[in-house]
Amino acid sequence: MKIMQTNRKQSTKAPNRKTISSLFLVGFLLSQMGCMQKISIISSPPPTVPPVQSEGSGQTSKQPSPRTLASMELTEQGRILLERGRSDDAIRVLERAISIDSGNGRNYFYMAEAWLHKENKEQAKEFNRIAEIYLRDDPEWESRIIRQRDRIHALPK
Amino acid sequence: MSMKRKSSIRIKWKGLLKVLFLAFFLLIAILFLYSWNLSERIDQRFSSRRWSIPSKVFSDITILYPGQKLNRDSFDEKLRQLGYHLVPHKPREKGEFEISGNSLLLFLHDLKMPSLEREGFLVNIRFTGNRIESILRADTEKPIPLLELEPEEIMLFFGTERERRTLVSIDQVPQHLISAVLAAEDSRFYRHFGIDPLGILRAFYTNLRQGALRQGGSTLTQQLAKNYFLTADRTLPRKLKEMIISLIIEALYKKDEILEIYLNEIYFGQNGSVSINGVGEASLFYFGKSVNRLSRIEAATLAGLIRAPNHYSPYVDEKRCLNRRNMVLKAMHKNGWLSNDALQTDVQMPVNVSGFTDYGKKAPYFIDYLSQQLEALYSTETLSSMGLSIYTTLDTQVQAAAEKALEKGLDRMEKSIPILKRTAPSQKLQGAIIVMQPKTGYILAMVGGRNYRESQFNRVIQARRQPGSLFKPFVFCSALDRFTPASLLSNEPASYQIDGVFWRPENFETVSEKCVSLRTALKKSYNLATVDLAMKIGMDHIVQTAASFHFSTPIKAYPSLALGAFEVIPIELARAYSVFAADGLLPFPLSLREVTDEDGKILQQRHMNVESLISPAKAFIMNSMLRSVITEGTARSLTEKGIFGPVAGKTGTTNNYRDAWFLGYTPEILALVWVGFDNGDSIYSTGAKAALPIWADLMKNIPQHISENWFNMPPGITQKTVCSESGLLAVTNGCPHPVEEIFLEENLPTLQCPLHRKEKPLHHLTKELKELLKAF
Repeated sequence: MKIMQTNRKQSTKAPNRKTISSLFLVGFLLSQMGCMQKISIISSPPPTVPPVQSEGSGQTSKQPSPRTLASMELTEQGRILLERGRSDDAIRVLERAISIDSGNGRNYFYMAEAWLHKENKEQAKEFNRIAEIYLRDDPEWESRIIRQRDRIHALPK
Repeated sequence: MSMKRKSSIRIKWKGLLKVLFLAFFLLIAILFLYSWNLSERIDQRFSSRRWSIPSKVFSDITILYPGQKLNRDSFDEKLRQLGYHLVPHKPREKGEFEISGNSLLLFLHDLKMPSLEREGFLVNIRFTGNRIESILRADTEKPIPLLELEPEEIMLFFGTERERRTLVSIDQVPQHLISAVLAAEDSRFYRHFGIDPLGILRAFYTNLRQGALRQGGSTLTQQLAKNYFLTADRTLPRKLKEMIISLIIEALYKKDEILEIYLNEIYFGQNGSVSINGVGEASLFYFGKSVNRLSRIEAATLAGLIRAPNHYSPYVDEKRCLNRRNMVLKAMHKNGWLSNDALQTDVQMPVNVSGFTDYGKKAPYFIDYLSQQLEALYSTETLSSMGLSIYTTLDTQVQAAAEKALEKGLDRMEKSIPILKRTAPSQKLQGAIIVMQPKTGYILAMVGGRNYRESQFNRVIQARRQPGSLFKPFVFCSALDRFTPASLLSNEPASYQIDGVFWRPENFETVSEKCVSLRTALKKSYNLATVDLAMKIGMDHIVQTAASFHFSTPIKAYPSLALGAFEVIPIELARAYSVFAADGLLPFPLSLREVTDEDGKILQQRHMNVESLISPAKAFIMNSMLRSVITEGTARSLTEKGIFGPVAGKTGTTNNYRDAWFLGYTPEILALVWVGFDNGDSIYSTGAKAALPIWADLMKNIPQHISENWFNMPPGITQKTVCSESGLLAVTNGCPHPVEEIFLEENLPTLQCPLHRKEKPLHHLTKELKELLKAF
């Protein structure tokens, strides 16, 4: 409607070359848009961040899901255990965190850290790689992951 | 009498005395040696391990958190299995719970396991429908972000004696229980020396007066001697031996030590084929609490059971039990261990028992699978005697849901197709389910068959069945380096010559599509297109892929391999699919987590172990294609069954309907369902009709495991618009059916659709005009 009104207003004035070509282009493009087919999406990937606040409620929110919050609680426990040098206990807790929310990248980062402490290069590498997938949108975590990768590479075979 | 005769008699007497003295000395010596021998045996028996304590197998812990969806029925059953019991008042003791409106007040048990320990406390869990609204500490109203319920005991490794016992030290036993036991069995225990002559006389008098054997004069020490070293024969030699042993025990050990051994040894009744021994186990079995928390009347009830546990059991005859308990209370009063007021109050109280659950093997197929691993670590004798604690990955709620779903599903099939119903147990329609966490490899549930009692054959780990179309994703995965989900395949009939024999595969149904994309071929499970793809990438390549996914069964490079015409073990199939759900990592299937000794020291520990197999990008593409199977393909009926969240999966049906499969997964959980006959008879049904409904039923009953999240897109994936007819980059405004498709960055389509490029002459003009507009 807005476009039509604008056209009417413009029609009262003497058209110059610039407006004529503009009108032609706009009209042509509009006609082309009408003929355009809609693109159907087969493989639309669901959002990467859990979009629901309440599991299965369908409400979208930026707040982390209860599952993520619960997992984060365990992540923190795992981190503290790691700080205390209790790698095996940390792995056990972080495994639980992963089983609650497998999309929480920090769990994989700390898992890599625990295996690094245990000097298991292969496992540390695998978890570092997964952490990268889940945390690549977070610059701070990404740099931590890169530093961790360097430390893993520095481990003897 | 002559002197000579007198002297002869004196000599004879002297000789007799000498003989008697010698005989007496010999007797003493023999007795001494015998006692020495007995004391050696007693010392050996008492100083070494006194009892065989069966090792216990535990499920995983249960995690609760606010916002979590729960199956309330399953949760209530879980509480019951954990030994919690409903009370009509605010819970006062550990193990009690009260339901009031939407709130559940739960007095938690203590939790003690490797890397996890907490004291029980009162917690308030509020629900909104089937969702946990909040979890608060009842005392401080402080919110709890995550609550862990203790693991559930699922099995005991019994020895031949099948005894169950929880050891307690004398310091843990409350004084009122000691008084009750002494009042009931041996009130002069601390005053005699193992044998109580007064007690024997009293018993003799009572029995004489009543004309029957009503009272025994055995002390606690004698009962112990009988239990440990003797048989139940009522013969004089055995009684004498019992007395000697009692005297030796009393000489070797302190009274408190003897009492402690007695309290742990004594028999307290039966739960099925398992005997309940010792006060520690009895207090759990009858009252659902540890011995130190027993009340006085509960203590008197237990003490009353000792004489004839199964006769006086409150589970057998409550009234008889109550009368016996009151007799014990009166005996306590008579001995001055209970005041008159307390007696008057106590005898009015009812006998309240906690109820018990059978010690039957739960999740029997899982336990068999676990036992195989344990037997490689420990001898049968160790498992049945050393009291190890074995922690597993099993989730009993998932296990129960899986067992129920399978049973219901098979019943439903037999009703809808009556020819499937067979009476002979070995010929019945069978099924199997395995539920795993794809990322950790934890096995949450394993149902190896319909009825363990009828068939112990574990179809999850022992069966070798053709996977049919369930194998197709591995063919498609093999092709991702050269092909894209949009690449086109021929879906037209073709003949293949194998070892001089022609093979002509067919689609399951006649379809008009002659040329289909990889995505369509997989989602609609087209055989012809799959074989076409397999032939293009080469059978050897597929065999290599299958080997890398750790299929252990022989796989030969025949074209029919692409359609799953070879045998697999179901657990290996589930594990292989986990690779897609775990960002390309192959997890090691875990059932055993930890083994600890009686003191809680960790003897064995298993962590999740992963192996990189395919790139996360490839795994993501596979997930996306397998999601299409659910949204638009052969498993689209899943939404009709009430499953709405994002799920990836695949159906499978083998020749002549011998096997029906469905495998579905989310980022958090993966479940495989198989239905078929052991002898390979037809089940006249497809994977979508036979196995899929079982999967749906299972998932609906374990909402706590469904997050409704999808996989994160990893690096290395690009989204492009392609022409659905050519599979190449769509010509803007040219291709009639453009679709968004995902690609590996290293395998992007570069060519534009040739089919629709010439159809629109205005296309070039549009492009030029657009460029002009930009310049403008």
